[in-house]
Amino acid sequence: MTTVSRVACTLCVLVVCGCPLWGQVQPVPIPGGDVIQSFGLFNQFLPGVGSIYDGMDAEPHGITNFRGVTAMGYTLGLATDNSGKTYQVITDIRVYQGDYVGAQSTFPAGGSTSEKAHGTFVEI
Amino acid sequence: MWLPSSGTPTLQVHDFSPGIASNGLFWIVQVPDDAVKITEDTLTISLKNVSVVDQFQFPGGAGNNLGTAGVPATVSFDITYSKEGSPRHVRPTSSDPLSPLNWAGKMWMATNSGTFSLAYNDGSFSAQGNFSSSGNFGEIGTERNGSLLQEDDELDKPDTEALPPVQHQNSSTDATQNETSKLAQNAPKLKGRIPVKALVHEP
Repeated sequence: MTTVSRVACTLCVLVVCGCPLWGQVQPVPIPGGDVIQSFGLFNQFLPGVGSIYDGMDAEPHGITNFRGVTAMGYTLGLATDNSGKTYQVITDIRVYQGDYVGAQSTFPAGGSTSEKAHGTFVEI
Repeated sequence: MWLPSSGTPTLQVHDFSPGIASNGLFWIVQVPDDAVKITEDTLTISLKNVSVVDQFQFPGGAGNNLGTAGVPATVSFDITYSKEGSPRHVRPTSSDPLSPLNWAGKMWMATNSGTFSLAYNDGSFSAQGNFSSSGNFGEIGTERNGSLLQEDDELDKPDTEALPPVQHQNSSTDATQNETSKLAQNAPKLKGRIPVKALVHEP
């Protein structure tokens, strides 16, 4: 393979690899969140009432620049695995549906600009 | 996390999530719009075979819970969230972008319940079960945040009067004393750190 061919192939690979990012509006996480010792900041709050929560009016969303429907709730449950073992389950599953302003790759190296989009997201 | 018999937190052995994105997006995955059905009083979501990873525990799990380190798996679930009572109007009480109080919305308290199943991609582990809010905190409503916080629209207006322009200082929620007291009664009954979805078994 000639040098020109190699360069052409490399460029093709780069273009193909970059294509999925073009046209996608990447949701941006909320800038704040809870700080956990041993982990650091994670971009999510814990709405709720009590000493281990951030307050009942704490932001329930994980995505910023968002306008739409939000549903969340903490649950308890039980599960059984494929060997018959029983587990206790805790969930915090949140649903977000609406319009948002996210990041879209615009500049040659992937530099972002704001772009409006609509989407449904789940925090599992 | 508790042993079913004692209610005491014990060993977390599974923690399923989509992982944390490189930009910090926390355990969030995009799904089709039609996975969610919304009525006046409920929101139902049905998902099949969502790709997740088992990071075993949080925090301190696989890859320190960064990225998608862990055992690849899929999870399916059906959940219904149901409104309760009257809405409260949340207004931003902080202009600090890092604060949890920098958003606006019209929110109802909510219960939810659901069923789920999950399986490792290699088939070596699977489980199924159900869950419910059991008096723990939950809410549903409409909200806006970030750059869309300043937009004045119908989302968080009181039912009988227009919401004044968003004020970043000295604003407050509309929750009444009665609502506050009711919410206090609805205080979460979970005793551990909650942002985990895990399975615990008796050692």
